[in-house]
Amino acid sequence: MANRTIPRLLQTPAVLLLLFWMLVPLSMTLFFSFIRYVLNNLRRPEWTSPSIDNWRGFGNYEYVWNQDAFWLAIQNSLLIVCSILFLTVALGIAVAVLINRSFPGRGMVRVLLISPFFVMPAVNAVLWINMLLDPVLGLQGIAVDAINTTIAGLKDAPLVGWFFSLWPQFEPISFRATQTSAYAVIMMVTWQWTPFAILIFMTSLQSEDQQQKEAAVLDGAGAWSQFRFLTLPHLGRPIAIVVMIQAIFHLSLYAEIEIVSRGNGNKNLPYYIGELVNNNIGAASATGIFAVILANIVAIFLLRMIGKTLME
Amino acid sequence: MGRIVLENVTKSFGETEVIPPLNLTIEDGEFAVFVGPSGCGKSTLLRLIAGLEDCTSGAIKIDGNDVTKVPPSKRGLAMVFQSYALYPHMTVRKNIAFPLRMAGMDQSDIDARVDQAAKVLNLDAYLDRKPGQLSGGQRQRVAIGRAIVREPAAFLFDEPLSNLDAALRVGMRMEISELHNKLETTMIYVTHDQVEAMTMANKIVVLQAGVIEQVGSPLELYRTPRNKFVAGFIGSPKMNFIEGDAAQKLGAHSVGIRPEHIDVVEANGQWQGTVGVAEHLGSDTFFHIHNTGLAETLTVRAIGDISLTHGDTIHLNPRADEMHRFGADGLRIA
Ligand SMILES: Nc1ncnc2c1ncn2[C@@H]1O[C@H](COP(=O)(O)OP(=O)(O)OP(=O)(O)O)[C@@H](O)[C@H]1O
Ligand SMILES: [Mg+2]
Repeated sequence: MANRTIPRLLQTPAVLLLLFWMLVPLSMTLFFSFIRYVLNNLRRPEWTSPSIDNWRGFGNYEYVWNQDAFWLAIQNSLLIVCSILFLTVALGIAVAVLINRSFPGRGMVRVLLISPFFVMPAVNAVLWINMLLDPVLGLQGIAVDAINTTIAGLKDAPLVGWFFSLWPQFEPISFRATQTSAYAVIMMVTWQWTPFAILIFMTSLQSEDQQQKEAAVLDGAGAWSQFRFLTLPHLGRPIAIVVMIQAIFHLSLYAEIEIVSRGNGNKNLPYYIGELVNNNIGAASATGIFAVILANIVAIFLLRMIGKTLME
Repeated sequence: MGRIVLENVTKSFGETEVIPPLNLTIEDGEFAVFVGPSGCGKSTLLRLIAGLEDCTSGAIKIDGNDVTKVPPSKRGLAMVFQSYALYPHMTVRKNIAFPLRMAGMDQSDIDARVDQAAKVLNLDAYLDRKPGQLSGGQRQRVAIGRAIVREPAAFLFDEPLSNLDAALRVGMRMEISELHNKLETTMIYVTHDQVEAMTMANKIVVLQAGVIEQVGSPLELYRTPRNKFVAGFIGSPKMNFIEGDAAQKLGAHSVGIRPEHIDVVEANGQWQGTVGVAEHLGSDTFFHIHNTGLAETLTVRAIGDISLTHGDTIHLNPRADEMHRFGADGLRIA
């Protein structure tokens, strides 16, 4: 036993730091979630300080559980995270496979492809919502307007005019609205995070064994079979990594939600917590604990799914 | 069936011509071995036949059909790679079944063929393992299994044994030879190991810098090498070469004699020298001899154990009828 003491001793600083880093915030959140704790209440001033005397049991959880907004927030969180995961992985694989072969200017293309990842999330959101997606001044507005004008012009054309007069007037979509803001968030985050997926998949593709491919060619495998039976299983682990890391990051999306809709659009779980924090810390903490549970469920579920489908 | 004919085949990578025009016929059922030093184009030639590389010019015919432009999967050839190239995510069973699955065969037929191949190769016990859980020799057998289930017109092997240790190599060498006897399918085997070439081949093709130096049966090459390169390449230990005046006296520009064709005698040998290194193997003794006045070192193989060691004087008698004479151009003088 004695010879274990020194290693243990040497580990302690790291262990203590980790405890401090993770356990303190988590236990504070847990504690707050079981007491009444608000920032402002004129009738019950004792609730404004965190104290064990204000014990509420599972009351905060019950309160949150019965809020429609909470369930909407979970739904939005899942919609946003799963869509982003699916799109980044699919686009990432497609682009990585495409640029894995050599063509002139490949180095340049790679650098350009990676660059969205270095844009700050808030800046990314501002650029997308104002310059690209704005229904009047953004690229979307201009494009829809141009299409409408062109069609209007063609309606008077001889021969084909009747065909174009069947076409409706296109309406630009307002991505700041409640029903559509999640799509804007999905688009901008996908744009930003696809490079991350490309980067990981690209490195993995470069370590793929070329003789295996040649063997598969001789075995009669076409391009699709090679992709399905060799490349995709080879990418199994990197896909799991990309999914895990992104799931962690995107469950806590906040800046994009705020910038796109300022609280008027689809709220996800962190945004909902953020709103509660304006006053009801207890309920916010309970939601936070729900978020932790949700994150774990999502992580386990995703890992299982990937493990099953890809590793054969 | 698997008669493979190469007609004026050439291959260049960019500016560098790796294979100058080359003609070669491999008969159906033959075990042909390509040997040559590293970088001489053996693998390139094999890949041309497999279709993994395109010929720069010339034609490749299999059983009389021109397959020069036919994609690799349609040529009916199976290849075994040096690195085995097994599919790491599939079990042994799925690995072996892969070409059949790609051909769209029925599952029941696939199972039957895989089981049969596994029996031939002693892989029954490993069918549900992944390649990562197999030894080198077992992996090699899986790779061979994947090749034989397709019942190809010919097998192509690219240095299949070079990743194995010496003992296993001898074992696998025999297994491949037995497989050839059993299947009677054409096999083309690439190696830089002349022992593999000598022991396995019906026909050896000696290559140097993309050029065929000689084609023939192992003993033909051993007995009548066409030039100095083949003479030096085939046979182990290497043939001794005597150059200059000493060779002139023997009536040629250079004279070659194999270590096993020089007899060690007690005294009054035709040649003599001092023993440098003596390697006593029990069954044979190899002497590396200096100061003979013939060549820098002369290697001699004597049967049995002869108790001469470093520094001793040794007497030798070459067998005159086993000498190979070469002209100034390196070609054999009849
Ligand atoms: N893809 C390629 N591009 C350019 N040159 C190549 C290419 N592949 C092979 N070569 C050249 O062709 C020559 C023959 O190569 P090859 O691989 O056929 O040699 P080898 O006889 O199989 O050698 P080894 O015994 O080392 O495997 C070499 O000089 C090599 O550098
Ligand atoms: Mg080679």
